[in-house]
Amino acid sequence: MKAIARWGRIVALVGILALVAAACGGDDAGPGGGDVKTGAGITTEPCPGSTHTDRGCIYLGVLSDLTVGPFRALAVPLTDGQKAFWKRVNDGNGIGGKYDVDITKYTRDNKYNPQEHVAQLRQILPNILMLAQSLGTPPTIAARDIMEEENLVASPASWWSGWSFEDLVIESGHNYCTEAMNGLDWFAETHGKPDTLMAVHYPGDYGGDSAAGVAKWATANDVAFPKANDVQTAPNATAGTQDAPVAAILRVKPDVVVLATGPAEMAEIVGKAAAGGYKGRFVGSSPTYNPAVLASAAKPAILGLYNFVGPWGPWGTNTAAHNAMKAAAGSKLPANEGYTSGWIWSYPVKAVLEKAFELGDLTREGVRAAVEQTTVDYEGALPAKKYSGDANTNVVRQSLIGKADEAAPLGSSVVKDFFVGPTAKDFSFTEPCQKL
Amino acid sequence: MRGRPELRTSYESDQAPLGTPAKRFWFAALLIGAVLLPFGLTSELNALIATAFISAIGAIGLNIVTGYAGQVSLGHAFFLGLGAYTGAVLSGPTDRNVVGLGLDMWIWLPAAGLLPAIVGLIVAPVAARLKGLYLAIVTLGLVFLGEHLFREMVFLTGGVGTGRSSAKLEMFGTRIDQRTEIGSYTVTREMKLYFVGLVVLLVMAVLAKNLTRSKVGRAFSAVRDRDIAAEVMGVELTRHKVIAFAVSSFYAGICGALLSTTTGFIEPGSYGLLTSVNFLAMILIGGVATLSGSLLGAAFVVLLPRLVQEIPHFVPFVESGSTGGLITTFQLETLLFGAGIVAFMILEPRGLFGMWVRAKTYWRAWPFSY
Repeated sequence: MKAIARWGRIVALVGILALVAAACGGDDAGPGGGDVKTGAGITTEPCPGSTHTDRGCIYLGVLSDLTVGPFRALAVPLTDGQKAFWKRVNDGNGIGGKYDVDITKYTRDNKYNPQEHVAQLRQILPNILMLAQSLGTPPTIAARDIMEEENLVASPASWWSGWSFEDLVIESGHNYCTEAMNGLDWFAETHGKPDTLMAVHYPGDYGGDSAAGVAKWATANDVAFPKANDVQTAPNATAGTQDAPVAAILRVKPDVVVLATGPAEMAEIVGKAAAGGYKGRFVGSSPTYNPAVLASAAKPAILGLYNFVGPWGPWGTNTAAHNAMKAAAGSKLPANEGYTSGWIWSYPVKAVLEKAFELGDLTREGVRAAVEQTTVDYEGALPAKKYSGDANTNVVRQSLIGKADEAAPLGSSVVKDFFVGPTAKDFSFTEPCQKL
Repeated sequence: MRGRPELRTSYESDQAPLGTPAKRFWFAALLIGAVLLPFGLTSELNALIATAFISAIGAIGLNIVTGYAGQVSLGHAFFLGLGAYTGAVLSGPTDRNVVGLGLDMWIWLPAAGLLPAIVGLIVAPVAARLKGLYLAIVTLGLVFLGEHLFREMVFLTGGVGTGRSSAKLEMFGTRIDQRTEIGSYTVTREMKLYFVGLVVLLVMAVLAKNLTRSKVGRAFSAVRDRDIAAEVMGVELTRHKVIAFAVSSFYAGICGALLSTTTGFIEPGSYGLLTSVNFLAMILIGGVATLSGSLLGAAFVVLLPRLVQEIPHFVPFVESGSTGGLITTFQLETLLFGAGIVAFMILEPRGLFGMWVRAKTYWRAWPFSY
């Protein structure tokens, strides 16, 4: 009995110590000096490899699809684009001249898998201020509860229409829903109003959102869009081939097909439909294009029948943002437009950090509060953007139309510069086009 | 039998759980340790250990059918998925693109076990006619069937690449997995997940312990050791195989539903053959036909990837990123996992539990152990 009593005391002591240790833990990141309030993700020491010994470091997390996921071809240059963006910021004034920004140390691979995304986020969470990149709608949604509790603001690498309704997500550019509307408005303007239209798309946040945009365009413009013309497909990794949508296109022979698939699937659909005698046109969502498709047998069909809708200008565009990006990238061209997207998606993060610094509060709560007051300057790549007020006011309705172009630096050029189609202009955003 | 705890004078005392003072003491100490542990760990580790606890529930389930009753099942992932989706459908919000009924945890959690148990009951009579390899193949078929259904039933699962939110840990209208502040102290959602996992695991483990030392449990062992002999003794083969399948599926369903709540999201691709193999690995590495082995095995399989992630800090040729180096952590993890299974099968078929027993026996006889 004596032994047990002694053990009991030891166990109790260990327990108390554990509790005390836990209570004392937590805010180990020291204040960044000056009168700016700081918390998690900020150190007074300079960033790794930085020569600015007088600056502290702001650590941002990146959760991207880097090795095995379906968007790795875009995500790797995307992350490189972000690194280049922050290098330029750090080489300049940093954040308020007091902090550099590091996104490399807490870059993790989410494999485009929600479970993996949440596990990786939990790992880096104590050490980051916000997420410079949260790739994919399903992974980002999976982390929504954690982000809410931790006041974690994130720049999404996706264009789901629901982001306009989330206060922790600082999105850029149009969404898949307005994208489809603008694509069809452009088609109606250039090729005449279609009598029949079809949507071939993946399910969910991307394709579902796009197809919802097609349905809304059809209603607004009084064009029939029967259920049979809403064709759902899946990536080749699951579906094997795209023969089913191709058969549907050849059967219905619509005037225009709106695509929301991956690039390889787009190439297969456009190529096979053209080979089958289809004479209509394809309007693709921006993720349907990757210059690599021009190496496929579908090249003539893609050059002849296909356009895509873009949220911002491609590599060759002449804006201050694009020129700065090209200067930062140097002589080596990136693999695809993922790089441009990474660059542009970083502007809101920088703007929010600067606003929070200006307001004197660089804690997560401070950053969250700063979002409402931020106006993002995209250096001409996009019109200035605010996140305050309701979604209908803030949603970005501009798109541009691009085409595959062998002569252009990253295989695409602009056919029609930024415009807001009449359908997108009048559309009232009261909820996400595709709810998730 | 004070002073002579190893002396048994009745069958009950022989079968009693925690039969000796030492066992009772260590169990109490472990329990206290488990209750205090989350207060000293980071949120990430708490979530990871919660995952291990919940996985252990599934491992116990698989151990009941495969370890105790000797029926090899590769179909565990299917029942896990079934449980996860039952929970998600019953608990999910009613206004989304996937079906949701908005019900409370006290409804969805039992239902997440019951539906897989019923499906287990339906397939069990087929499975009861088979054994060994044939049974493995039939249960493998279940996994493929399940994968297909989960992929195609978009209105329930959201489909590939989209998925849906998991069940919500909401009891009587209150979320029990949200962060709360008690004075200046914060109880994080991960701590709460940890406790949910611990409590459910304890309940399920006690139930399993009681099942295995009951008449049914002894019948399971008889069926496993020699089915013909068991039949001769009057053990109804089909009945007990069916019970084993149903109970195992119940455990898998509960595990699946709770496991999905740790990330809050369900991807239809998560319930493939690899998941089944992971659970088989848990019981092989932990120890077949032991409950503590299920827990040890689950902890091993869940924590190994996290440990491997630390290796690049110590070994230069292992790379944490996607490229460069001789081998990436992801590849190393797969290798270690495979090597672990092979090593355990050859060197210690009784798994981690066997190693524990050997260590215990060694020290008990020390210094005269040999």
